Amino acid sequence: MKLAELQNDFQHALFDTECKGVDWISESARGLSARDRLDIYYNAYRIRLIDVLLDTFAHTAIYLGDDWFNQLAGDYVQTHPSIHKNIGLYGKDFPCFLAEQLPEDKEISELALMDWKLRRAFDGADSAVMIQDDLQQLASEGSSIYLQPVPTLTMCTQHFNTLDIWNAINQGQTPPVVEPLPEPIDILIWRKGYSPHFRSLARIESVAIACVCSGGALEAIGAVLEKDFPDVDVAIEFGVMLHRWLDEEIISI
Amino acid sequence: MTSGFGLGLRTQHYNDFLAEPQPVDWLEVISDNYMVEGGKPLVMLDKIRANYPMVMHGVSMSIGSINGLDKEYLRKLKILEQRVEPMWVSDHLCWSGVHGRNLHDLLPLPYTQEALAVVTRNVEQAQEVLQRPLVLENVSSYVEYEQSEMTEWEFLREVYKATGCRLLLDINNIYVSSFNHGFSPIKFIEGVPVESVTQFHLAGHLNNGDHLIDTHDHPVCDDVWDLYRHALLHFGYVPTMIERDDNIPSLPELIAELDVARAIANDVLNKKIAL
Ligand SMILES: [Fe+2]
Repeated sequence: MKLAELQNDFQHALFDTECKGVDWISESARGLSARDRLDIYYNAYRIRLIDVLLDTFAHTAIYLGDDWFNQLAGDYVQTHPSIHKNIGLYGKDFPCFLAEQLPEDKEISELALMDWKLRRAFDGADSAVMIQDDLQQLASEGSSIYLQPVPTLTMCTQHFNTLDIWNAINQGQTPPVVEPLPEPIDILIWRKGYSPHFRSLARIESVAIACVCSGGALEAIGAVLEKDFPDVDVAIEFGVMLHRWLDEEIISI
Repeated sequence: MTSGFGLGLRTQHYNDFLAEPQPVDWLEVISDNYMVEGGKPLVMLDKIRANYPMVMHGVSMSIGSINGLDKEYLRKLKILEQRVEPMWVSDHLCWSGVHGRNLHDLLPLPYTQEALAVVTRNVEQAQEVLQRPLVLENVSSYVEYEQSEMTEWEFLREVYKATGCRLLLDINNIYVSSFNHGFSPIKFIEGVPVESVTQFHLAGHLNNGDHLIDTHDHPVCDDVWDLYRHALLHFGYVPTMIERDDNIPSLPELIAELDVARAIANDVLNKKIAL
């Protein structure tokens, strides 16, 4: 048996829906049978990946409870071979998987997406952040100002009171009963210092940040906001937002 | 003689290392945990590196894969190596998946001439990128293959001879595999060339009665301490560390365990000189 065939067969044996005996593992005179030996690897593969999901999706796991989470995580492992060198990235498709598996409980995939994005922010790329002086300097130069979000900045949209559920779990409290929101809200996620941060966004700020992310100049963003929010004093609102963004370290330099 | 005793750097002990000097000569970092884009891991790494020599230990190179090595992984590893400037860079003599899939495990290789050729080719590729000898660790194993043509220690010796790589001998892994497969751990140790070994790992395992599992979540057991004595007699002084990956105790507790290694090394090596 060539090495290519052995590695291929071994991998298939671990991915299989059950651990079957193989003829290329030596039957030993002592200890375990060949099948039981293969079973150690078969189980370790599953336990290791389920543990990674448990670690990455800690709030989701508490919300679902051990049994339900382990069952869903086990199904995910069985149907999603890892394509990542970095085991921490294994859960990338878990929020989508939960949305497909639990179409009636969409808050669960929203919760999982929040867990995922917060974890990714933790060791995402660094960048120097813009401070008030930098912005004033740019303004004094007179040309158009383009803001760049920090590399870890991302958003997710929630249709349920998922944020309240996440917060309750995070504080060790019983989560509130799930409820649909009157309007979906956008959650901003980024890293400040060493710690992932998040907060909900008002509609106008969400539009403004989307404009920043797509590379609009400051004046252009102002124009979009004036068009979309005719009842708002955009000059004041935008000034307040900008100030907050700099304080929160979401703009890079 | 008893300098050169290290510990694996674990996140639980970051603050201990930042707060005050610790009686640890060097630290081993899991390369994969720091092959990230930014954030706290790299800040902690740089801060602690400023005060301790380091060695890098990877878990995902898959040096025995028939497909060859992942170039992107090697590129990232090289970037980290340039950042850390470690004493050496190690990974495991195993394979971890083929055809773009990762099993995230250290799977044993068959000890054949064909596998030797594959490992040789891959080690050369890694050493070309790293521009230094790679250090390879023997893994614990639970299976042996029908087609193996030599013992594990003969295979290690051949890999060393063919590539000029160095070896990290995990004394616990030798013990676990020898128990699971019924070979003599002393023969293993005596079969490895003295000059090839750069580092020892000491760790704990789980005893399931008819087989042992390499869990790294227990203190080093008496049999493994005995085997460490044999290793010291055969190899002389080799930089040694305690490897704990799970059920991680306080730093003082690990340092106390490292002191046991120091005392054993002192005792064995002094007696060896006296002879
Ligand atoms: Fe080890």
